[in-house]
Amino acid sequence: MKPQQTLVGAGTLAVGVLLAIGAIGISSQAGYSGVGPNFLPWLVGISLLVCGGFLVYEARSGGFRDMDEPSGAERGDWRGFAWVSAGILANAALITIIGFILSCTLCFVLAVRGFKSAEGRLDLSVRAWAVDFATGFAIAAPVYWMFTQLLAINLPGLTGSGWL
Amino acid sequence: MDILNQLLQGFATAATPINLMWALFGCTIGTAVGVLPGIGPATAVAMLLPITLKVDPTASMIFFAGIYYGAMYGGSTTSILLNTPGESGSMVTAMEGNKMAKSGRAGAALATSAIGSFVAGTIATVLVTFFAPIVANYAVRLGPPEYFLLMVLAFCTVSAVLGKSTVRGLTALFVGLAMGLVGIDQISGQARYTAGVPELLDGLEVVLIAVGLFAVSEALYNVLYEGKVVETQNRMSKVHMTRAEWARSWPAWLRATFIGIPFGCIPAGGSEIPTFLSYATEKKLSKHKDEFGTKGAIEGVAGPEAANNAAITATLIPLLTLGIPTSNTTAILLGAFQNYGIQPGPQLFDKNSALVWALIASLYIGNVMLLILNLPLIGLWVKLLKVPKAYLYAGILIFATVGVYGMRQSAFDLVLLYAIGLLGVVMRRFDFPTAPVVVGMILGPLAEAQLRNALSIGEGSWSVFLQRPGSVVLLVIVLAVLLLPRIMKVLNARKAGAKSANPAGA
Repeated sequence: MKPQQTLVGAGTLAVGVLLAIGAIGISSQAGYSGVGPNFLPWLVGISLLVCGGFLVYEARSGGFRDMDEPSGAERGDWRGFAWVSAGILANAALITIIGFILSCTLCFVLAVRGFKSAEGRLDLSVRAWAVDFATGFAIAAPVYWMFTQLLAINLPGLTGSGWL
Repeated sequence: MDILNQLLQGFATAATPINLMWALFGCTIGTAVGVLPGIGPATAVAMLLPITLKVDPTASMIFFAGIYYGAMYGGSTTSILLNTPGESGSMVTAMEGNKMAKSGRAGAALATSAIGSFVAGTIATVLVTFFAPIVANYAVRLGPPEYFLLMVLAFCTVSAVLGKSTVRGLTALFVGLAMGLVGIDQISGQARYTAGVPELLDGLEVVLIAVGLFAVSEALYNVLYEGKVVETQNRMSKVHMTRAEWARSWPAWLRATFIGIPFGCIPAGGSEIPTFLSYATEKKLSKHKDEFGTKGAIEGVAGPEAANNAAITATLIPLLTLGIPTSNTTAILLGAFQNYGIQPGPQLFDKNSALVWALIASLYIGNVMLLILNLPLIGLWVKLLKVPKAYLYAGILIFATVGVYGMRQSAFDLVLLYAIGLLGVVMRRFDFPTAPVVVGMILGPLAEAQLRNALSIGEGSWSVFLQRPGSVVLLVIVLAVLLLPRIMKVLNARKAGAKSANPAGA
């Protein structure tokens, strides 16, 4: 009996249920083809329910079959994880406001804090922040210029100049 | 003759300075992502998909093919020097090549894998050149029922046959199919699973799923579970093979090429199986069995690396002639074609023949470029391994943002990206394969359209699948692929049971 694996199986069941509920609202208008737009949604929903059922059964009867031991530590380093998550989500929230370069630099700086924290050498000194900020900027800025100037693909900027 | 003419024209297109530059650019990026742990060709191509918005299709396909190829060359460097396979296809190389490096023969291992990759890649490209048009000629005759079954075959092999657990493989496949359902139904125009979010009407972007599942999840997994893992790097030695090592490498390269190619061609994809097969073959045939697993046998590196490249090249045959991807990267290449409104398949050789032949020609050119990039310049790539992990992964997140945001200019996609990354962490932790998700997501909508077209032909009756000889054959193959391994397992178990029961009875 493995609680985490049971949870994964239950999650699969939940997705199956959600898909099936969604499928109710899709028309079955088949036209000439015998199956309508709701056919695959039902098939996928029900299949996920079956798979989820199997997963829960496996989890409760000795664990998932033929499973490779996951690599790395037994327990997650949630503090480092929080730093990296904050970086990604801050990027999503700020990219249209402060522009691609600054937003990505911020994401980079926060993510570096996370990885260093996971390695057990988190450094919060002003110097470390400055070095990481400069490094992140040095990666994000050329990428931005390459896309906006060379390839003419739109990325949001702080200014309309196409350079920042 | 016709083929050679078209190939020559392809060379003319591929050898223009601008296309050569794209090829070189692709090969360089490819080698770099191959060398760097944590990012593979599928991710790299996905992140760069936004260029399809501006760059012309021929140039970007040449570019992407360079990345795909280059990563296979670069992956072996990481496997040999770090013992962490850069790509799943270089798992075996990691075992034997690392042993060689530990006993001071890193240079020979690197040389045999680079030259072996070149030999196998070139032979496989020749086969693609002559074989793909023939397959395309036959494929023109296939109708929706056959296409649908071919796609089902791809689904079955990628999820149920290749992985260790059928349940987890199928779960991954159906999750992928579910992702493919989001958006407007191609045939009826009805919105499905959009939950009223306007961004979802266009469906989920391939970039988003691939980058989330590979790059973001890799970063999150690493920070969660692998922060304390310290990697040790083997010492480099001079890149050089002795005469004896050449003599031992040659036959291994050739054998492996012909093991690899068929696996790439059939919709059973993946380069893991041929590498393992080649490894087993070399181990069996070698006169130096004692070196395997101890100080490292050069055949054990030469074979799998060549098999890997042959298979990778051959995956282009089903992709270009049938439009069926058999690996993560080819699935994303299919997405790239779709961004241009091009549907790979038998008509591709007629409608877009200039593009196809330029792409094939660029493979020959790319192989030469990669040999040069990887042998004399190996020292440069090795330096990449010194980038601290924190900067590497944080940098990958920046590129992930470019790829995903550049495609649709939607901050909502970045939140979804994080969610897909979390899904990837769970999948990795509990040993779910990821290829079925990507293949399911991309191939799912196509398969659904083919199914509904097939049933229209049969006027709504499923018996249409039994009335056409082609589809009956495919149906039998699908069933065989699903059932044979299981029957064999039961038979073997019974045989083993009988054997162990016999002595007791006698």
